[in-house]
Amino acid sequence: MTTVAHTPTQAHHEPMSFWRKYIFSTDHKIIGIQFLFVSLFFLLVGGLLAMQIRWQLGFPGKPMPGGGILPETMVVNGVILPEYYVQLVSMHGTFMVFFAIMPLLVGVYANFLIPLKIGTHDMAFPRINMASFWLALLAGLIMTASFFVPNGPIRSGWTNYAPLAARPDLSGVTVGQMLWCVSIVVLGLSSVLGSLNYITTVINLRAPGMTWFRMPLSVWALFITAILGVLALPVLQGAAIMLLFDNVLGTHFFDPVAGGQALLWQHLFWFFGHPEVYILILPAMGMVSDIIANGSRKPIFGYHSMVFAIIGIAFLGWIVWGHHMFMSGMNPTLGSTFMVSTLLIAVPSAIKVFNWMGTMWRGNLRFHVPMLNAIGFVSMFTIGGLSGIFMAATPVDIPLHDTQFIVAHIHYVLFGGSLFALFAAMTYWYPKMFGRLMSEPLGKIHFVLTFIFYNLTFFPMHIIGMGGQMRRIYDPTIYTFLKPQQPLNVFISYAAFALFATQFLFAFNFLWSLKFGKKAPQNPWEDNGMEWSLPNPAPHGNWEKTPNVYRGPYEFSAPEAGDKDYLPQYLKLPTDRDPVPAPLPAGGH
Amino acid sequence: MQTPTVTDAMRPPYPAEPGAGVYSNKLGMWVFLASDVMFFTALIGSYIVLRFGAPGEWAKPGAVLNVPLTGLNTFLLICSSVSMVKAYAAIADGKKYFLRKVPGKMLQDGGLKFWLLVTIICGAGFVSVQLVEYIKLVGHGFTPSGYREGSLLAEHALADPLKYGAGVAGLYGSTFFTMTGFHGFHVTCGVISMLYLYFTKVLPEKYSPQDYRGIEVIGLYWHFVDLVWIILFTIVYLI
Amino acid sequence: MLIWLYLFVMTIAEVLLAFELPVARNLKLILLLILAFWKAMLVALFFMHLKFERWRLRLIFIVPLPLAVILVTVVIMEKVF
Repeated sequence: MTTVAHTPTQAHHEPMSFWRKYIFSTDHKIIGIQFLFVSLFFLLVGGLLAMQIRWQLGFPGKPMPGGGILPETMVVNGVILPEYYVQLVSMHGTFMVFFAIMPLLVGVYANFLIPLKIGTHDMAFPRINMASFWLALLAGLIMTASFFVPNGPIRSGWTNYAPLAARPDLSGVTVGQMLWCVSIVVLGLSSVLGSLNYITTVINLRAPGMTWFRMPLSVWALFITAILGVLALPVLQGAAIMLLFDNVLGTHFFDPVAGGQALLWQHLFWFFGHPEVYILILPAMGMVSDIIANGSRKPIFGYHSMVFAIIGIAFLGWIVWGHHMFMSGMNPTLGSTFMVSTLLIAVPSAIKVFNWMGTMWRGNLRFHVPMLNAIGFVSMFTIGGLSGIFMAATPVDIPLHDTQFIVAHIHYVLFGGSLFALFAAMTYWYPKMFGRLMSEPLGKIHFVLTFIFYNLTFFPMHIIGMGGQMRRIYDPTIYTFLKPQQPLNVFISYAAFALFATQFLFAFNFLWSLKFGKKAPQNPWEDNGMEWSLPNPAPHGNWEKTPNVYRGPYEFSAPEAGDKDYLPQYLKLPTDRDPVPAPLPAGGH
Repeated sequence: MQTPTVTDAMRPPYPAEPGAGVYSNKLGMWVFLASDVMFFTALIGSYIVLRFGAPGEWAKPGAVLNVPLTGLNTFLLICSSVSMVKAYAAIADGKKYFLRKVPGKMLQDGGLKFWLLVTIICGAGFVSVQLVEYIKLVGHGFTPSGYREGSLLAEHALADPLKYGAGVAGLYGSTFFTMTGFHGFHVTCGVISMLYLYFTKVLPEKYSPQDYRGIEVIGLYWHFVDLVWIILFTIVYLI
Repeated sequence: MLIWLYLFVMTIAEVLLAFELPVARNLKLILLLILAFWKAMLVALFFMHLKFERWRLRLIFIVPLPLAVILVTVVIMEKVF
């Protein structure tokens, strides 16, 4: 049995300076790691903003500890001002969606995993890849800058609805709005460039033998996500530009007085926004599939239906955007149409959940940290999906829209879903990135505490939402009908503080293991993917010679494997034939 | 296993599974163009929606905008697309030169250097005419927020509101400048890219019939920009 | 280059149609749109070589088009209400 691992020499590359090797690198792995550190930073920023939100909601009007360091425009005598509160809420959403979760799922893992898992040396366009990272960083810096300009960042929610967003005289935000729009346009460009790289790489650069239906589900999911990204982000860019022009050039796109349409913004935003949320969940689903198959020592149940479910979700995702707008006063016929399509989209998601359960059923379960987080993902995402079904029905959505119920749904799918999947993925591919293993006991403690505090934080939000507490509200206690729920708000805030504190365990684990973690063996999780044929950390250029792929990605507990319970894709058994690469077309192109 | 050679630059990557059947740069450009379609969808779609739902009558074609001049400009852009096709055909045939005398023919035969230069000049011409038009329009009072107070167009609009679409002048200005502006931006980027390629790759004769990927890829972008303009010209100037 | 001639003639036809010919407003609109899209198709198929490429490549360009149609249709339906 031969492997295609090779000693990590860089003999065929001229030695590069520190700057070209680690800062201005075109190596997809380094770019992935760059995205990782930047996104984790923005995740921290988003979390800090959330802590302030939870302080205000739990203890309205009380001075916030540490509030003294913030300027008078935001915090007076330690008490968060209403103007600052809406900014907190808007920027928490913006940072988390655009600069934390999206780059963590796509920027990190599409970059890092795709070439490794399909058996090629790098992306199709390495320099465009580098540009994509630097543009994303630039966008993040522009967005952060909006905190430091007069009147601060946007106040209209992360969805930045016009006409409020288009009227500085009403919102009070001047430069901050322009910075938001510019940042979004730059980020859109970064995403589009990155996505076209991923699409081209997956289509054209798969190693011989890596047929479409031998690709791991993580690659499928990242590929479909890239297609969604390349088609959805430009619409947001267009909308952001129109909003910018409304603010700066005096255009009237969203100004009803001059004949513009306020709802146009909502349609454009959500036409982008709905594929965006699938961008935020599909890679997580793909990576979790890989991890669950590994942790169950069984092939993924229903591989083909998983692939078609991903495609189905992506396809249907284009025609459901109106369900974010049920309360906008839109055409009721459209309301019913969107209701039907939204209910339909639950079907492929459910297929995936059942398939994950089917994979684990009677499997030889290994509860390593990634597996624990992956199982956490499945259960929490299911709850988030179920609350989604409630809201898909237009009549049910009417009382629930813009309440904390929606906030609960969002956080169940984004935190309970994407973030748990990210904890799993970060732990799982840490050895491939850094050559060491994260601490297992610390990871398990982090998972248990996070799982408990997370549910204690976000589950009661369903209840207070149904009780009528609105979203983005500064002080719920001004309404007498909300006063009885305030103790729950306090409880949620305490749970949220505990949740935030628990994440320092993960941060410590992550950073400490960089230097002091156990050195990782080549295939610590006994997985089948192509990436595990390389030493840890993976060397520049990946393989010297393009590897061959001999089988599908989930051959766990296969009889041919002999005494091992896994059979890697790259391993050539005596009974295997070498795959024949696509022949060079004869004469001309 | 065959190792790929330089003649295989314009074929799909090797060794690999069958993919799109074309080399990666071309596939990448097509994907980028798909994303650009969505970008223009946002802008042009908004225009269609805003015009359809406008509370008043839109200005009549030709009232504010100079249609004959823009028609000529459209022709110029189409010519630049044709010269791009000719440039592509030239390098595919190995004609790296500028101009060469052909025995028995009156006109000299143009190579890559000639035809790409024609494309660049026509493209730059298109942008220049657009810029001049913009300056004239703003001078007359047509701005992104509508007819400027006290300008020539504002007077016309008062005199003949139906012809000048007085009620929705704000929308007219907003959509016109945004759509044509971003199209012009795309053309400018194309011209700059072609200039860059001209000086770094075409003049030093780095393209050959075995590898002219850059020409094909920029050609695709250029034709796309032309395509968008064909649609824009009709729905903005003629309707 | 026959396509060029074709495009040139169609452009002239469009301008004439828009200004000179006495055609009803709605019919004019439809005809102009058809002409515009026909010209665009010519550029795509011939200049951009799409006619001679395989389906996989054509699919990349075709996919965004229904999305554009859906967006515009829904928003117009919205406004009509």
